[in-house]
Amino acid sequence: METRRFRAMGTDIEFLVDAAEAGEALAAAEEEFHRLEAILSRFRPESELSRLNDLGSLEAGPELREVVALALEAREKTGGRFDPTVHDAVVSTGYDRSFELVAPDGEAPSTGSSCGGAVSVEGFRIELGAQVRLDFGGIGKGYAAVRAARLLCAAGPALVNAGGDVAVHGGTWPVGVETADGCLTLELSAGALATSGRDRRRWRRNGRELHHLIDPKTGTSSDSDLLRLTVVASDAVEAEVWAKALYLQGEERALREADELGLLCVLVTADGRTRLAGGLR
Amino acid sequence: MTSHVARLYSLALALFVFFLTWATIGARPWTTTSRAQQDPRLTALTVREQHLRRESVLVQRLVRHRWAVYRVQLHKRQSQIATARQAQQAAASAPAPSVRVVSLPPLTITRTS
Repeated sequence: METRRFRAMGTDIEFLVDAAEAGEALAAAEEEFHRLEAILSRFRPESELSRLNDLGSLEAGPELREVVALALEAREKTGGRFDPTVHDAVVSTGYDRSFELVAPDGEAPSTGSSCGGAVSVEGFRIELGAQVRLDFGGIGKGYAAVRAARLLCAAGPALVNAGGDVAVHGGTWPVGVETADGCLTLELSAGALATSGRDRRRWRRNGRELHHLIDPKTGTSSDSDLLRLTVVASDAVEAEVWAKALYLQGEERALREADELGLLCVLVTADGRTRLAGGLR
Repeated sequence: MTSHVARLYSLALALFVFFLTWATIGARPWTTTSRAQQDPRLTALTVREQHLRRESVLVQRLVRHRWAVYRVQLHKRQSQIATARQAQQAAASAPAPSVRVVSLPPLTITRTS
C-alpha cells in the first residue's frame, strides 16, 4: 500500500494506492491537485476563477468551464439549494479569506447577500450577470478528487480523501464516517462519498455562530437542525452536491428526499442522534 | 650542303626555343597564386564561405538540440495522452456506487471539510 498526504485547497489530502510501486501516479495526482487549485481557488488573485469574478466574463480553460457547467447542473437538479453564486454571501458572513486566516470571533456585521444570479457558458466564454461572483464550495475538491482517483487507478486500486470528499477506483475500502457517538465504517468498492456539516469551518460575528454552508434562499449560514451529513454517490462531485443540498433541508425532509432519490446517507443531528437513509441500514 | 641544312635546323630550333621561352615568360606563372590571394573579391568569398560553414555547423547543432527537446516533449505528451485515455476508460467503466456497513476498522475517515 502506497500513501501520500499533503495540503491543498485549504484541507488535508490523502491518497491510498493498493500497489507496490505507485510513485509516478502519486506524483501526477498531487500535481493535478495543485494545478486545479491554481485554477479554481477564489483565494488566489491570479486564478482563473478570481479573474472571472473580477471581470465578469472570461475565455476560460476546459477545467473552469467544466466545473461551472457541473455547478449549474447541480443548481438545476437541487432546485437552487446548491448554488455557485453564493460567493458574496460567503464573503459577507466573514469567510473572505483562506479559512486559516479567518478570525474566529469579530464584530463585523453579517448581512445576507442575494444568490441565484445569471451564469452562462457558451463555447469558451463564461459570462456572469451583474454583481455575480462564483464560489464552488466543495465541488472544486470533489472534482479534483475524481480527477486524482482516475490518475491513481492507472497504478492500482486507489482511494482519494480530499478533506472529506472520498473517491475510490477499484478495490474495497473501509471508510469511517463520524457519527454522533463514534464511527460507522462503510465498505466502499465504487463511487464516492462526501460530508457536509457545521462542526468545522465555523466562526462568530456579533455573537452569532456562522459557518460556510450558505443557504442561497437567505444568503447567510444555514440554520439546519443537522450537524453534518454524509452522502454516497457515483462520484465525489455528485456526493458533495447532495451532501450540501440535503443538509440544508434539515433532518426530516433530508431523510425523505434521500429515500426518494435512493441516496445512501448518514445524518448526524445537532441534538446528537445518528440517522441512516436511502437504503443504508 | 650539309652545313646549310644544319644551319636551317639550328635556326628553326633557335626560333622554337625563343618562342617557347617567350610564351613561358609571357605567361608569368610565378605571379598567378599571389594575384589570386590578393584579389579582394576572392578573399571576401573565401571569408564568406568560412562564415557560412561555421553558421551551418551552428544551425545543425541547434536543429539537433531542438529535435531532441521535441522528442522528449513528444514522449511526455504521448504518455500524458495514454494516462488520460486510461483514466477515461476507467471512468467509463466505473460502476454505480457500491457500499455496505461493515465492522472493520476504517482506513480513512470522512469528516466535514
